[in-house]
Amino acid sequence: MSPSNPHIFQAQPGGQARREKSIFWIFRIATYVVLACGFFVFGDIIIKGSRTVFQSEFPFVNTTFLFTAPESLYVFEHEGVKREMGDREFRAFREAEEARARSEGRVPAQIRAQSYVYSAGGIWPCIVGTVLLVVGSMTIALSLGVSSAIYLNEYAKEGPGVRFIRLAILNLAGVPSIVFGLFGFGMFVIFFGWNVSLLAGWFTLAFMVLPVVITASEEALKAVPRGFREGSLALGATKWQTIRKAVLPYALPGILTSSILGIARVAGETAPIMFTAAYVVRDKLPWDVESVSDFFFQGVMALPYHIYVVSSKIPQNEYTERVQYGTAFVFLGIVALIAMTSILLRNRLRKRYQW
Amino acid sequence: MEPVLNAEEPKPFAIKKTRTRFLGLTLDETIQTFFGGNAFVAVIVLALITLFLVKEGAQFFTQNRASMTVYRQAGLEYVDLMRQQEEDHIALTRYLFDVRMQAIRQYTDAEGLPLADANARLVAFDEWSGQYSDAIEPVRGLVSELTDVASAIKTKFTIAEDKAIERAQLLDEGKTEEAAAVVIETVDFKTELAVLTGTLPMFKEASVDFAGQLTALLPTAPAFSDAVLQARMDRFVALTRQYLDGFPEVVRRMETWDFEEPIPLARSFTGFIFGRQWLTASFWQDWYGVIPLFVGSLMVSAVALTLAIPLGVGAAIYVNQIATAREQRLIKPCIEFIAAIPSVVLGFFGIAVLGEALRALSQFENLHWIPGFPIAERLNALTAGCLLALIAVPTIFTLAEDALNNVPRAFREASFALGATRLQTIVKITIPASLSGIVSAVLLGFGRVIGETMVVLLCAGNRIAIPDFTAGVTVFFQPVHTMTGIIAQEMGEVVRGSIHYRALFMVGLVLFVIALLINFIAQKIVRRYRISIG
Repeated sequence: MSPSNPHIFQAQPGGQARREKSIFWIFRIATYVVLACGFFVFGDIIIKGSRTVFQSEFPFVNTTFLFTAPESLYVFEHEGVKREMGDREFRAFREAEEARARSEGRVPAQIRAQSYVYSAGGIWPCIVGTVLLVVGSMTIALSLGVSSAIYLNEYAKEGPGVRFIRLAILNLAGVPSIVFGLFGFGMFVIFFGWNVSLLAGWFTLAFMVLPVVITASEEALKAVPRGFREGSLALGATKWQTIRKAVLPYALPGILTSSILGIARVAGETAPIMFTAAYVVRDKLPWDVESVSDFFFQGVMALPYHIYVVSSKIPQNEYTERVQYGTAFVFLGIVALIAMTSILLRNRLRKRYQW
Repeated sequence: MEPVLNAEEPKPFAIKKTRTRFLGLTLDETIQTFFGGNAFVAVIVLALITLFLVKEGAQFFTQNRASMTVYRQAGLEYVDLMRQQEEDHIALTRYLFDVRMQAIRQYTDAEGLPLADANARLVAFDEWSGQYSDAIEPVRGLVSELTDVASAIKTKFTIAEDKAIERAQLLDEGKTEEAAAVVIETVDFKTELAVLTGTLPMFKEASVDFAGQLTALLPTAPAFSDAVLQARMDRFVALTRQYLDGFPEVVRRMETWDFEEPIPLARSFTGFIFGRQWLTASFWQDWYGVIPLFVGSLMVSAVALTLAIPLGVGAAIYVNQIATAREQRLIKPCIEFIAAIPSVVLGFFGIAVLGEALRALSQFENLHWIPGFPIAERLNALTAGCLLALIAVPTIFTLAEDALNNVPRAFREASFALGATRLQTIVKITIPASLSGIVSAVLLGFGRVIGETMVVLLCAGNRIAIPDFTAGVTVFFQPVHTMTGIIAQEMGEVVRGSIHYRALFMVGLVLFVIALLINFIAQKIVRRYRISIG
């Protein structure tokens, strides 16, 4: 439409239109400020963290950082050369130097080293611990949560009982994670006497994520059309047969993808595992146990707790920064990967299942 | 219909199925019961949380009362009555010092005097304030002497208690002889306290002497030519008069003080809920008051919500009402993505980047007009609040967006049909119609923020004290400690079953109750003010 001959209903450029436009711009800016803040956090950690995790030579990934246990870092100057070494390497080096000095008939020079805990080596035990915690707690949460959702959506008739259960789920979702930590500590660690263990962590995390899983599963079950159930029942199938053959298969992808968000939450929480499952440092890997039952009753190192430890208990400087950013990067990467899978899968499924 | 008279016997069904029953239930019923049982897990967990928090925490009150009883019986309370006089005096001298700082600033900045000259001008003031702060000496000496006496009584009592526990343990193990060998020295508070209460005449004398000195000093208070400074000095004199007027009351309370007066259980309860001090592992007396932590939590939440409400609700309105479909598809997953950032990573970001950045920003000359700039502490309520805002925004955004989405299309269409512009429709129709949902979104965002642990533990500065609210807006630049933070920080270090351990569980219970309350109100609002769609 040419501006010289406007339609009579076209908005006239005027004070009101300008005001509207500027107010819309305020809303737009608010949105993009949020996104910018989010991406700034991401960007900062990705850029600084990738320096630790990636390297320029083959195999391009810092395998020492990913696949070894944390060690103390020693920084020292020896014979004019500044060196940085992990705990084991440092000891070997010191012995070799002393032997060399003695063989040359000198008094071995004392090596004065500045040490930083956890700043050398890697985070392998933490990665393993986090994976174990997530797998175990999600198994518990999924089996409990899906069953609850099936009951609420398929069997239960609306009434005070079901309303009560829904109320409980809603309230459980609002309980702070540290309270779950206290509860897990009081019940599993002390009352049941499980001590700081995988099992205690699993149950604490599973209960925390339960509302998310139940709500997600119910949504997925609700999305299956009534006709599927009615058709199956009309053919003479029992209720359970109907659920198993005509409802669950179609709801399962939805249940799983939405529950992945729950996984991201489980993996990301620190407060509940602080006193139930996480150790600051542990030399053995979880599978170095004597009997099977020991496996369940051992504490593990976990990525989120390790980040807490390295960012609060050791000073900030160029040496410690590497491990701090590296751990945060790996952790953020894992969580972001999980969350991204869930979001992408969900968008995909929405398109595929349209009844 | 006529019944068929010559009907044959009813035939059995062609398909006959016997159902296996287990405990009187068919397979289907068993499955249903199983699922139903699982659904109850949520209820059970909620009940168990309550149970365990109460179980571990409830004994706090009796233990706290016992601790307060010792505080009284060993005479610590008596000494603290005296000490109050000393502490008030210290507060007054601090005020005086503050006036001096202001005067120096006035002289050097406004009048352009060199520092030495400014100091020279204040010589008379310094001399006077020196006399003022030295006047307390007799009282101070007495207090510090009696502190040792009371401490000794308390130590004696604790040792006796420890011995009693030791004997009980030995008896439990059946070692009667060893148990008999444990000597328990009973503490007779009355005779022990006689030393303390016997000093009352001395204190009265010292107090009168001290009051006399102050009264003599007051008329010679130095005067300032500047009106603002003089006003502060006048206020100081008035405060001192008020302080002096309180002396007889202190003496009266000391005279009527009775170590045998029992401490009611309610006192232990109010001491926790309204207590203004959280002081642990002190040589004198431990106090467990939740107020400093509660205030810290509220302050951090206040910062977070002031930032998160406009941003979260604004973004929700933008995405739902204004943005194009493509922008919507892009922005929504991104904000959900922000929700997935683990809080401990945000906390680390706060320590490593944001705290430092805020401080660097506050040191720019051009920004010094903002009150509180430059910031003294890197980690404070503001740093934690900013990061918590990033946690609250996705929650508020998602729920508010849902609420906006639930407004029936017809509402908007009717508004447009009446000739309203888009902005008018949004402001006058869509937002009011979804207000209940938006408010509950904000409340749930608040719940998320007050329950968040790692960010505040890492970034709030962790100083356990009620921030100084007389400082105005700059109070938000002070470090605070929070309810969630204290649990996370101290739970790992306390002795199981100790009073401190139980106090932490009580803090957890308070948090739990707050979370339930917020949830309850949010639901109530949604249900009460839901618009009927029809």
